[in-house]
Amino acid sequence: MANSLQARLDALREWQNADGGWGYFPGKESWLEPTAYAALALHGEPAADRAWKLLSSWQMPDGSWRPSERVNVANWGTSLCVTIALARNEFGAPLRQGVAWLMGTAGVETHWLGIWLARLHISKADRDISLKAWPWKPGNSSWLEPTVHAVVALRQAARAVSLDTVARRELAERVRIGEEQLWSVRGRDGGWNYGTPLALGIELPSYPETTALALVGLQGHAGLAPAFGIAEGMIAKTPSALADAWLAIARRLHGMNAPETAAEQRPDIMVTALQALAIGGNWKLLQAGERT
Amino acid sequence: MNSGRREFLAVAGAAAVAGYAGFRGGRSAGPQEVKAPVQKPLAGAMSQVAVVKAASYSHEIADAMMRGILECGLDVTGKRVLLKPNLVEFDFNTCINTDVAVVAAALDVFQSLGAEEVRIGEGPGHRRDTYAIAELTRYRTEVPKFDDVFIDLNRQDVSVVQGFADRKEFYFANPVFEADLIVSLAKMKTHHWAGATLSMKNYFGLVPGSIYGWPKNELHHIGIPTSIVELTRIFGPKSFAIVDGIVGMEGNGPIQGTPKPVGVMVMGSDLPAVDATCCRIMGIDPAKIEYLQMASDILGVTEEARIQQIGETIQSVQTKFQLIDEFKHARLA
Repeated sequence: MANSLQARLDALREWQNADGGWGYFPGKESWLEPTAYAALALHGEPAADRAWKLLSSWQMPDGSWRPSERVNVANWGTSLCVTIALARNEFGAPLRQGVAWLMGTAGVETHWLGIWLARLHISKADRDISLKAWPWKPGNSSWLEPTVHAVVALRQAARAVSLDTVARRELAERVRIGEEQLWSVRGRDGGWNYGTPLALGIELPSYPETTALALVGLQGHAGLAPAFGIAEGMIAKTPSALADAWLAIARRLHGMNAPETAAEQRPDIMVTALQALAIGGNWKLLQAGERT
Repeated sequence: MNSGRREFLAVAGAAAVAGYAGFRGGRSAGPQEVKAPVQKPLAGAMSQVAVVKAASYSHEIADAMMRGILECGLDVTGKRVLLKPNLVEFDFNTCINTDVAVVAAALDVFQSLGAEEVRIGEGPGHRRDTYAIAELTRYRTEVPKFDDVFIDLNRQDVSVVQGFADRKEFYFANPVFEADLIVSLAKMKTHHWAGATLSMKNYFGLVPGSIYGWPKNELHHIGIPTSIVELTRIFGPKSFAIVDGIVGMEGNGPIQGTPKPVGVMVMGSDLPAVDATCCRIMGIDPAKIEYLQMASDILGVTEEARIQQIGETIQSVQTKFQLIDEFKHARLA
């Protein structure tokens, strides 16, 4: 396992771009997502400091982070940057602005007009749209993966940042609703897909990577053992290095052992970083802490 | 004229100025400037669409595909070609994706026709692990040197287009700009929101998940028909369509429908004409498909009398697809 971890960390060090970030693939431009996961995998090393310096320069005036230097769009990856700031014990304005942006962001389906149209049966919704969760980008509906990372980041922030009583209560409430939304979009097969159990009233299948991610978002919740079994069963049938890595992280976050990955090592930086997080000890940086 | 068409025309007026000319090239990859495509007046124009029979996913597909391409007069000599299959997700019980035999045949055919480079690119809209889907669909095992030629369009460096429907800017992966020709290797399927998903709708996979997420919800908020038309406006002029109708999908497509053998491939450079022809083969009235109505006479020809059918006639291969209740009104009379 030590060799497997070392090989992945060495690869990440080798693939780091001159600007301090990582692309999705070696030699490509730096993007927030692979940079964030690689920075977490290499946390404590100078490489992670260089990465954070780059990511810090991508924060936008509204507190959100852009997904890359050239893309001028507020992005769900803000949650990952909040998690990194907290891991680095950087509690200043960038962190607070990032948290504030997450608190002010929700899927557009929760707009009061949409809720009333659904209540009056003028429009149909395949999920409970009264539950505020997070979109990939503002102006879109909420989906599973951005919600998972926002829940983790806000739970971490609630634990680490000094807040007044009102702000702490608001933050805890937003997390509670986000977690409830994750439960509400669980598929009837017991797993999760990208965030809706139905389309036009017809059941949709779950996927292993999104089921594993939901388990990351529902840290500390009871009754999830069957979901682990479902994710493992899906991975056995449909091999996915990404799903395998997220499931290993989820198992560790739920206090379980994780078998070493059997997935081939590909020059895929995001997957390599997630595998390194799962194998090494830095999966702890995704621990959400006690539920409030 | 319905509201969708009016909405598109309003957008197109502004967008036609921006269009390709508004493309802002990348810092290191991708072209710095792309000239606006010549706007051809479509009123009265004719288009060619080839319908070739292919009874099964056998080695004969490559010959049938070659015949159709040559009959359409497509010249790919020296061009950089990007094959864009419909690779969505996998279910052992149905046929969601462009069959691997069609993808492998296209790679072989375009290489043998003298393309400078042939690559395969896709950005699935539901599953993040594109390579896992490629494994399940046998792309990785049956397409020669798949890992060397494949590009995950969800996670590439990007460049921006100025103007996409009501969005000021929209991002796409650089490989779609770098290609001289994009081949929409679509699957002939019904679609529970759009009516039918064919060569035009297949371009949803050109939109990068790294920015717009999984699913690519931005396109739903813009409006599915408008998004389909906008993608065709931007990439249609350098496109060729090959629709895999050897076995299509009927009913609750594009994911949960049932296989429907038709035994054809439908090809052409005019994407709306190809899709309108596919609709007629499926027993769907293209005039009832909103995005085809919006694109008609602006981006392509959809009127049957103005499509020169090469190869098989529509009547000889027509196979009525089962339609969900929401699209029963679209049944071809």
